[in-house]
Amino acid sequence: MSDSPTPLPSKSRKPFYFNTSEHLLRIGRQKAVTLPELLQALKTCPDDSIFQHTFRTLQEHHFIRQGFSNDFAHWSLSACHEPLLAEQLASVDVREYTTVRGLRDRMIEILDEFLQQHPRTDAHHASEPFYFCAADILVLPTPFVADSLPAFVDGLKHVGVHSIHHHFIEARLRLHLMSNDFSQWLEEEAGLAKTADAIERIDIYTNTMEGVRQQIVRLVEPALN
Amino acid sequence: MNSNDQRATIDVPSSSQGPENGRSRTATQDSSAATHVRGSGRTLPASLLTPPAPPPPPHLPDYKNIIGEGQVDALQFLARDLKGKTIKMVNSTSVGGGVAEMLNRMVPLLSELEVPTRWDVITGGNDFFEVTKAFHNALHGSSYELTKAAQDIFLMYNEQNRARMHFDEELIVIHDPQPLPLVHSRDKSPGHWVWRCHIDLSNPDAHVWEFLRPLVEQYDAAIFSSQSFARQLPIPQYLFYPCIDPLSEKNKELDDSQVQKVCDELGIDRSRPIVTQVSRFDRLKDPVGVVQAYKLAKKYVDCQLVLAGGGATDDPEGAVVLQEVKEAAGDDPDIVILDLPPWCGFEINAIQRASTLIVQKSIREGFGLTVTEALWKGKPTIAGAVGGIPNQIIHKLTGVLVHSVEGCAFQIRYLLTHPEFARRIGASGREHVKENFLITTNVKRWLLLYQILQSVKVQSGA
Repeated sequence: MSDSPTPLPSKSRKPFYFNTSEHLLRIGRQKAVTLPELLQALKTCPDDSIFQHTFRTLQEHHFIRQGFSNDFAHWSLSACHEPLLAEQLASVDVREYTTVRGLRDRMIEILDEFLQQHPRTDAHHASEPFYFCAADILVLPTPFVADSLPAFVDGLKHVGVHSIHHHFIEARLRLHLMSNDFSQWLEEEAGLAKTADAIERIDIYTNTMEGVRQQIVRLVEPALN
Repeated sequence: MNSNDQRATIDVPSSSQGPENGRSRTATQDSSAATHVRGSGRTLPASLLTPPAPPPPPHLPDYKNIIGEGQVDALQFLARDLKGKTIKMVNSTSVGGGVAEMLNRMVPLLSELEVPTRWDVITGGNDFFEVTKAFHNALHGSSYELTKAAQDIFLMYNEQNRARMHFDEELIVIHDPQPLPLVHSRDKSPGHWVWRCHIDLSNPDAHVWEFLRPLVEQYDAAIFSSQSFARQLPIPQYLFYPCIDPLSEKNKELDDSQVQKVCDELGIDRSRPIVTQVSRFDRLKDPVGVVQAYKLAKKYVDCQLVLAGGGATDDPEGAVVLQEVKEAAGDDPDIVILDLPPWCGFEINAIQRASTLIVQKSIREGFGLTVTEALWKGKPTIAGAVGGIPNQIIHKLTGVLVHSVEGCAFQIRYLLTHPEFARRIGASGREHVKENFLITTNVKRWLLLYQILQSVKVQSGA
């Protein structure tokens, strides 16, 4: 799918700087061995722990196509053997949230409801604890800067998958918008609103991050003609 | 203290290379260590009886084909702001053990990135190393009576080392508990002090931990190999996974003719499925349990079992365990037991690559680098859910976790009869290692940590 052709300036007014982010994992102070403890920790842990176990999980496991959405869902299944809760937590799409606060509230809501409906699970001990972590993050430039659509596609093809995650998934926490850096630039600098919209609808939970990259390239390439 | 029994080396040059395994073997090397090391009726070829000459160390550009140009660029970018700043790594041995092996690779790579890195080794008498060995076991959970004499020996040798060492570098990294008291020099040092703990502190002897804790708390940060190994501390704690070098003899790519040659030499039949466990002959690795699981699985599927390891020559308990394994194996011709010398990284590599499945049925484990090696080779891997293994194996996604002989047997059957699933988890396992457990990732972690500590210092106005 591509937009109806609009004349592209030979150079965009605002180049697209491909950045990437690198993370150093910090071990947090909280841990949970039961679901009520997880609930309590979800309420009190720092924002960067919520970010780590949801947004960052996708980046750490970017090579897995299915079955891994966030650490809370994974732990609910693998250590607590609660498939219903795991499915509910896994259904939370991080891209529907532009703040960590909103995402945290949704996780708390799901777990709280589950514990009210299944009070006997309170006392069950998980087979292994959930350790809360967080990451110190450094944003780094890459050698790729795009001031035209061909250069943009070239950058997309060559940057690492961490750069794709940075611009496509983490971006909404920076932008506080239901969008991403790629779509924003394509719409504002290249006039490709439909392409931008199509990119935003790519399913990150049934793709590897490499698959996401290839889909973005496939959506943008027709506009080169 | 007896000054004659000083046994560690100090000031190991940063470019030095440890006893890395290589293919070319020299005639002058001592072969005595290997003369009585052999498997169950399988005689090892003469070429394995001498340690090989070390191959030249790899350089940063050599990793481009493995991790991609972008990742090498990221390392160079991270290092750019640190250019000329110095790091000192301190541990207690220059040879043997995972820490020395890792430093042998890490130190040259950091220096190649123009972050000059020096590796120093503390010295001590036998009494010091007896105390630190006891501390090591106590921190792993063994009970230990901490005496005043042991504390004095520990502190005295550290004071001696401290008196002759300089800490002028901007980042001082102390590995493991042996050199912990060197932190007493931090007042005279301009740098950041970091404690890299490679051991599991989840269940330490309380007396030893309370003795060491005040020392740990003087550092700027601590680093552990798993979330579960850490303690509650008032300083930031970071997670650095142990790592493998994809260019080492044990992990580098091999062509099929190299794999075939090793299998021919060791009597391994590649025409039928091969299930392999690589580990020391140690009860905590449960080699007898692996034989039992293989026998259960073999009722349903055709396969061979290879148990490749070492430790039976220099460890009396290892010899006993090897005998138990041989008894459990009986006269099954499809079980190959290989007691290999420690320099057989290349052969281990070939055996792993020839395998259809790899098992690591540990009952207790540190991190389990043999699992990392198996995953890196894209092999479907079955492992005990202990220690750091669940960090590597996400059940049914990057491998499978088991808790019993029966569970292990079932997974052998399942993976041998579902090759597409086996292939998929093997491929994901390799990606997991590429992302998290390669030496280049750890180089990046050190550079990131350095940058972060530096920015904290700048922000605090220090």
